[in-house]
Amino acid sequence: MGVMSWFKYKSPFGLAFAFQRITGIILLFYLILHLCYLTSLQSRELYETLTSITVSRQFIIFDSLLILCGVFHGVNGIRIIIHELGIGHELRRVVLAVSAIIAILGWIIGSYILFMALGD
Amino acid sequence: MRGFEPLAWVFQAISGIAMVFLITTHFLLTHSSHDLLSYDSVLYRMTNMEYKIFYALLLIFVTFHAFNGLRAIILDTEGGMRKKGAVNAVIVTAALIAIFYGLYLLSKF
Amino acid sequence: MKFVIRRFKDDKSFWQSFEVPVKKGMTLLDGLFYIRENIDPSLAFRASCRMGICGSCAVKVNGRPRLACEAQLSKFKKEIKIEPLDNFRVIRDLVTEFEGFFAKHKKVKPYLIANTDYENPIEQLQTPEELKKYYIFTLCIKCGSCLSVCPSSATLESSLGPAALVSAYRFNADSRDRGKEERLKIVSESFGVWRCHSAMECSEVCPKQIEPAKAIQLLRRETLR
Repeated sequence: MGVMSWFKYKSPFGLAFAFQRITGIILLFYLILHLCYLTSLQSRELYETLTSITVSRQFIIFDSLLILCGVFHGVNGIRIIIHELGIGHELRRVVLAVSAIIAILGWIIGSYILFMALGD
Repeated sequence: MRGFEPLAWVFQAISGIAMVFLITTHFLLTHSSHDLLSYDSVLYRMTNMEYKIFYALLLIFVTFHAFNGLRAIILDTEGGMRKKGAVNAVIVTAALIAIFYGLYLLSKF
Repeated sequence: MKFVIRRFKDDKSFWQSFEVPVKKGMTLLDGLFYIRENIDPSLAFRASCRMGICGSCAVKVNGRPRLACEAQLSKFKKEIKIEPLDNFRVIRDLVTEFEGFFAKHKKVKPYLIANTDYENPIEQLQTPEELKKYYIFTLCIKCGSCLSVCPSSATLESSLGPAALVSAYRFNADSRDRGKEERLKIVSESFGVWRCHSAMECSEVCPKQIEPAKAIQLLRRETLR
């Protein structure tokens, strides 16, 4: 299919573009799921049943991946906004490298907070 | 301004920047300790006016950003561009439904 | 050195390998000429100036678009994979159609719309500072490399693509030009600037280091006014 060509990237920039789209779609699905979750708040029993499954050690890996998606999408998004203002095109490799570092750090910190909250 | 695309682009950027802060705050508010996700904690936040405003803002920004992003992806395809009017209409409708549903949920507390 | 080339003949696509003796200073284009002159005269490829100014010889080398006349063979390993540019319809072997690419250019009115006519020509003056503002964007050789890596152009044929948008900006930013409004009307359509999502692949592959992505963002800003 034509859209597969998005993923035939030629440089780290193309890879970042492909991931921006993938994480965007994942987060869109999560948004819809989240709205369903909020619907469950109408019943204490239903909410607590759902959270007992999803707020658990077994689910932490999914939560951590979600944080990775969110952090990557946000940090890469800021990078794109900077470039769309016309700034930093000459230094785009540096900006990409810095964004990657910030994204990884954000992921580690977010996952750590998540893990600590579970452990209490 | 030429049409709504420039506005959509500007708001996509603004909502993106706003969300970096809003979502980080939301994450910390709900995950920095274990009991924050208990039914009582969630209920406390949902009935609190300040939180409600925060959640309403987050809902509007996230929904706009997500559906506008999806619209960009669809319009990048041959089929999507051919049916541009329909795509725009469906996306706007879906986004409005999501926003109103979310606001409706918030109002029930 | 082994040249592995994606051929296209009679609606059939297939890979063919050729052994090419390499001398110091040889370019990829030299290698292609060697194949045509000594091994297979049916190999089709475009070339003209041999010095990186005509834009004819852009091909995909090991997955990345390069100008064949500027690609030094000494920079590559024992085997090199050569294919026609992506997002262009292949006519034969490494030759693709370019009518669509030029049509996109024509769409943005890539010529000076100035306050003068042939009967009573008025000299169009410009200071060096005014030239500096858009000079880099005049260097486009229309090789098509940027369009071949643009993800929007890959999925949407009607997308104007980086080269045409750079051309539009080049004239809009030219102090002698009066056609800004006409061009902005065209590039602010859905298939114009709004199909750019800053993937930046175009800037990475431009053989003239023009940074098409930058030109498109500057053009985008103009559509806001």
